[in-house]
Amino acid sequence: MGLLALNRLMSMQPDWRRRPTQRRNGLVTSSVAKRKVSPCLHDDNSGSVKKSRYSGPPLPEDIWHHIYSLLPLRDAARVACVSHTFKSYWRHFPNLSLTRETLGLHDGVDGLSCRCEIAMDLARKTDHILKNHSGIGVKALKLEICGFPFFNNSCDLDRWLHIAVKPGIEELDLKLLSTYVALCRKKSHATICRKISEAAFCRKKSHTNVYNFPFSLLDGSGKSIQQLHLYNCALRPTTGLGHLRSLTRLELFRVSITEDELRCLFSSSIALEKLVLRSCNELSFLEIPSMLQQLNHLVVMDCGNLEVIKSKAPNLYIFHYGGTLIPLSLGDSLQNLYIDALLGRQDVVPYPWADLLRMVPHLEDLQISSYCARDTLVVPGKFLHLQCLCIGAFNPDYDYLSLVSFLDACPSLETFILSVDADRVRQESVLAESSHDLRQMPGHVHRNIKDVFIIGFCSAKSMVELTCHMLENAKSLEYLTLNTSSNPEISCSDSENGRCLPMSKHMRKEARKALLAVERYILGKVPCSVELEVVKPCSRCNTLEI
Amino acid sequence: MATREAGKKMIMLKSPDGMEFEVEEAVAMESQTIRKMIEDDCADTAILIPNINSKILSRVIEYCNKHVPTTGATGAAASDTVAPAALAEDLKIWDAEFIKVNRATRFNLIQAASYLNIKGLLDLTSQTTIDTISDNSLEEIRSFLSTKNDYLPEEEQTIRRENQWAFQ
Repeated sequence: MGLLALNRLMSMQPDWRRRPTQRRNGLVTSSVAKRKVSPCLHDDNSGSVKKSRYSGPPLPEDIWHHIYSLLPLRDAARVACVSHTFKSYWRHFPNLSLTRETLGLHDGVDGLSCRCEIAMDLARKTDHILKNHSGIGVKALKLEICGFPFFNNSCDLDRWLHIAVKPGIEELDLKLLSTYVALCRKKSHATICRKISEAAFCRKKSHTNVYNFPFSLLDGSGKSIQQLHLYNCALRPTTGLGHLRSLTRLELFRVSITEDELRCLFSSSIALEKLVLRSCNELSFLEIPSMLQQLNHLVVMDCGNLEVIKSKAPNLYIFHYGGTLIPLSLGDSLQNLYIDALLGRQDVVPYPWADLLRMVPHLEDLQISSYCARDTLVVPGKFLHLQCLCIGAFNPDYDYLSLVSFLDACPSLETFILSVDADRVRQESVLAESSHDLRQMPGHVHRNIKDVFIIGFCSAKSMVELTCHMLENAKSLEYLTLNTSSNPEISCSDSENGRCLPMSKHMRKEARKALLAVERYILGKVPCSVELEVVKPCSRCNTLEI
Repeated sequence: MATREAGKKMIMLKSPDGMEFEVEEAVAMESQTIRKMIEDDCADTAILIPNINSKILSRVIEYCNKHVPTTGATGAAASDTVAPAALAEDLKIWDAEFIKVNRATRFNLIQAASYLNIKGLLDLTSQTTIDTISDNSLEEIRSFLSTKNDYLPEEEQTIRRENQWAFQ
């Protein structure tokens, strides 16, 4: 705010004419205490506010403009009808988020609103708003396109983007929901709905209806853009782009882009800090070049055709991967690694965890969720910095006690989370008659482990053995949580129908056995310094009584 | 009554109506404008806050006092034993009480927050204004903003038609 604004501000203060001579010298609290008798200034005589030429409220124009820019879209459009000043603000409204939600087009919960109608309405309103916008001053543009290309086509999208994407734009979010339109329930739309479903049927055979994002659009505005999110379109950047110098965040979801095109994009986005690729199925390999010095967060999820990921980004800090387990090559800057490999169940070939983990010796947080951990997770060397380890979803016959050697390799570990689908465990129960002696693994001391969570705790012998091992060898242990449910999030208190996820008879039986195992084998080993919490199935929804 | 704690640097803030407020430097530095003055060594004696009267300035200081991140500030409820989430909740409740002021005071606070560059206070006051606008009709908004309708009837009709969707 400049001096000009200050002067204006001064001129608008009719109640500041009063000049008390009394000098108040003391701590703030005392002055505040005196004030509390009369918290209001009783000067609500807005009529005396000197009018400047603009027909806005009694606030400096730049402040008011700031507040106006924060209004939700609908309110901003409404306030445009207040006076000319606000109309001109509306013409330059900076945050154009044009979605079903912001435009008040909701799917009827009861399914009464026709989706075709909503999609049509969305296209009409989007067109209307952008047509009436000056195209100047847009900082963020979010377009949600429903039923592309039925209610809007590539020409419409090109036109809309050209109106609002200008130098100065900081965020662009384009989301095409092409499969959004379902069969219409209203008779009046029957014809158009039939056309839509026919067209949708034809579309499955060809790929001509993929929107090609006009990358040339960013020629002028690329310098300012900081965030680019694209959903369900094609991105075909050409070589020789030297801009996008402010782009820090790039998210591509279901975007058709080849590795060459992605490489081209990288070469012009050297400020990139976060990259998210989801379901980009044209990619067969991903190589992050070393020139992306700022890149610290990489997310790759469900890119079904990827065969290898190589990152040379020197400052990559967090990597989140979901999908089939493929060779991953990561720099040693990595501190947080999250792998969710539930989708790719390559039970046959053991994944070379040791090779992967050898590359990232500085990990502080590691989460692996995979059915592939068939045998002992062999750990190369030690993870001196690893503080949090979360592993889950093993093969049904996995020997949990073998995790001890992994824990042994993590001397700084403070939190250990084991997440198992108890329903899938097929192992000898500790309660079985043949099972008497619990194995022990002496000589392992886990000095720093404070918290141990076992989600999906069951009576499987190796799991009870692991639990006993932790109680005996984790000398700093403070909390041990044994949850007999595999889905701790879905409880009646936060589910929609007010009931927990129902447990099968088998699951209830297993939960009973788990509680019995706790009673027989665990309770007696809990030192007084450890707080044990056993999370049982909710007694209201999933009673364990026989 | 609070007393000056040893080792804490104090800053004198002066309002144009002649009042002086002695505040801890950390509290004053909640304002980026004052922070810059202190860092530029422009704050040897009292800092004159040119266009914020004593009533508003005392409220602004009250806000900063509450929001200063260090523990043990005068009047602040911050404590090592309170969890961050509980503290944030406490602040939210306090903010909601703090901003229950009449319109003129609120506008003055907005201007003060803007001039002194106190992001939290600017966000709070702006958001309250936005909420008021969202909850009211066009005529009520005009009255709240003391703005006259300067549209000709046909102009108003046009803009109303253009933005009809926002009234549905």
